[in-house]
Amino acid sequence: MIANNGLRGAPSRLAFSAALAAFGLTASPVLSNDKLVELAKDPANWVMTGRDYNAQNFSEMTDINKETVKQLRPAWSFSTGVLNGHEGTPLVVGDVMYVHSPFPNTVFALDLNEPGRIIWQNKPKQNPTARAVACCDVVNRGLAYWPGDGDVEPLIFRTLLDGHIEALDAKTGETRWKMENSDIKVGSTLTIAPYVIKDLVLVGSSGAELGVRGYVTAYDVKTGEQKWRAFATGPDEDIRLAEDFNLANPQYGQKNLGIETWEGDAWKIGGGTNWGWYAYDPDVDLFYYGSGNPAPWNETMRPGDNKWTMAIWGRDPDDGMAKFAYQKTPHDEWDYAGVNVMMLSEQEDKDGTPRKLLTHPDRNGIVYTLDRTNGDLVSADKLDDTVNWTTGVQLDTGLPVRDPEFGTRMDHKATDICPSAMGYHNQGHDSYDPDRKLFFMGINHICMDWEPFMLPYRAGQFFVGATLTMYPGPKGDRENALGLGQYKAYDAITGEFKWEVMERFSVWGGTMATAGGLTFYGTLDGFIKARDSDTGELLWKFKLPSGVIGHPMTYKHDGRQYVAINYGVGGWPGVGLVFDLADPTAGLGSVGAFRRLQEFTQQGGGVMVFSIDGESPYSDPMVGEYDPAMPGEPT
Amino acid sequence: MKIILTAALAAGLGFAAGGAAFAYDGTNCRAPGNCWEPKPGYPEKVEGSEYDPLHDPTEVSKQGESLQAMDARNAQRVAHFKQTGEFVYDVSKIPAQ
Repeated sequence: MIANNGLRGAPSRLAFSAALAAFGLTASPVLSNDKLVELAKDPANWVMTGRDYNAQNFSEMTDINKETVKQLRPAWSFSTGVLNGHEGTPLVVGDVMYVHSPFPNTVFALDLNEPGRIIWQNKPKQNPTARAVACCDVVNRGLAYWPGDGDVEPLIFRTLLDGHIEALDAKTGETRWKMENSDIKVGSTLTIAPYVIKDLVLVGSSGAELGVRGYVTAYDVKTGEQKWRAFATGPDEDIRLAEDFNLANPQYGQKNLGIETWEGDAWKIGGGTNWGWYAYDPDVDLFYYGSGNPAPWNETMRPGDNKWTMAIWGRDPDDGMAKFAYQKTPHDEWDYAGVNVMMLSEQEDKDGTPRKLLTHPDRNGIVYTLDRTNGDLVSADKLDDTVNWTTGVQLDTGLPVRDPEFGTRMDHKATDICPSAMGYHNQGHDSYDPDRKLFFMGINHICMDWEPFMLPYRAGQFFVGATLTMYPGPKGDRENALGLGQYKAYDAITGEFKWEVMERFSVWGGTMATAGGLTFYGTLDGFIKARDSDTGELLWKFKLPSGVIGHPMTYKHDGRQYVAINYGVGGWPGVGLVFDLADPTAGLGSVGAFRRLQEFTQQGGGVMVFSIDGESPYSDPMVGEYDPAMPGEPT
Repeated sequence: MKIILTAALAAGLGFAAGGAAFAYDGTNCRAPGNCWEPKPGYPEKVEGSEYDPLHDPTEVSKQGESLQAMDARNAQRVAHFKQTGEFVYDVSKIPAQ
């Protein structure tokens, strides 16, 4: 831990007045989640992974717009000092940007008045063995912020690959507490970003490729005391089902299915980890997330629907009890880990009824929209017409109709399955424009051949049991292994795509939209791009040092709008490049699909920040200069 | 071939309500939320079949044991933190209550 002179400068005036409003204008005691809601209303801040609890990655700011975007230039940049995949996005609270890194998961606090100053950095000591049990690069998806109360100062939360959840003092970076959530000895790691609701911090889980039974855990932000833990498989008391679980949709299934949809004890190593993203509705008081794939990938070794893997969950944050769950992919046969982004919106359905909705583009190639108060299925559309494992989802039963030709099974090599195990959508955190009522989605266009094999389970060892070959989908260039991605604007009610464009590689990192009529995203071949939200026209791009697998963010500081993005290629698409692999079936089959990536990018790691004309605190070159006349002053 | 014939017969007799189950299409449910069927030629139960995973109970129970041990160590850390205001990660350095 290195800390220097602490926080310099006061919080921005906007942030300060928002905090004052939260304290002064509310009659009842202010819960900290209310404070986060208030802080998120201020464009100066980006206080959680998806900006606010709706997880829309949307900004009301219009300074950077269709007209001015051509003037967007780098304002400043910061190298994290490590390579490997840089997922997620930095947080900004007041005058400070908090930056996280892949393993060893160092956190930096940067002074936005003078971004060349590292206010503090907290570099943990981790067991390097953790690297060996990470399935898909040593990535980490971000930090969480708790605004503090009368007793405890604001805190930053981070997860460590080796399984710890840690609370750091936001002002000094000092560790307040550190708890064990996952044990690398059994193949259980952490890559998910923590998530703060009220005075709780939620922590997910990783390791379904090593047979880890998934769970989500809530800790007291102040003490680290465990409040509840809910599993994805097994007995109902472990899964934590509310009395009225799935009452609105009994056809989804209700009691005892965490056991009955498995043979024997297979649920104990049944996967269902959650390493994606969360969203939360303070009015309904439910949070939403998806559970991952069942283990192993060899479907023949686990008969049954394998509940409650691959499900969309609505849980009460106070006690973790589930009000509803909808299983998207019963008895997975393709590793369509169902952990993807949950974006909340309020729209009128086809009958003109206003609904509180949740929209979720899944790995399986279907984008689901549910009523987030009770789990009703509102729409389920294909992300692309080339999806072939299912002919479609029945909205009344919720069941996907499988096309047996594209299923997988022992003693059989299935070919041309779309999507591939990497999904038509992966971990990217997308965006929603509430004015245009459009979701901007970074999509993959990858299909596969798949052949399972038998293997034993040994705790701490990989438990996959399938050999994969992946390649571009039908709309890509299979001969040259290019055309692996798409970018689309989607209407969840009509099911129509307003526009769609092809990309050279998968749009892995997610998207951000602004009221300036722009949608931003990073690409694996190393660009940040801005498209016209109405037409999809490419209006601007910039060549970053390395490929992007995180989502863009925006904030206002000193009256100026900035756009920031992590660069540093890696993650599952980058494992061939990162670990120097040549066998096309290596990296769980991704090496072959992304064999051309190294011709466009190399590893990197850092944050690049943009503004109109590249204006920054250093537009005055004297800012931050060493002053020999004041030798005792820490600069 | 014999097994396939049996599956088709079962479907014809109404075992699977929603149509011919020549192959598993996910729409023939034995109960709400329970719609899995074996594929033609594959067993209903893998135990004792050529696809028996033969899980070792010792291995399969390791995760649960590990979680219990971590939770116990965390509880010691929290108790000491609450009592003294000082956080100590290394449980061997936390004085006995």
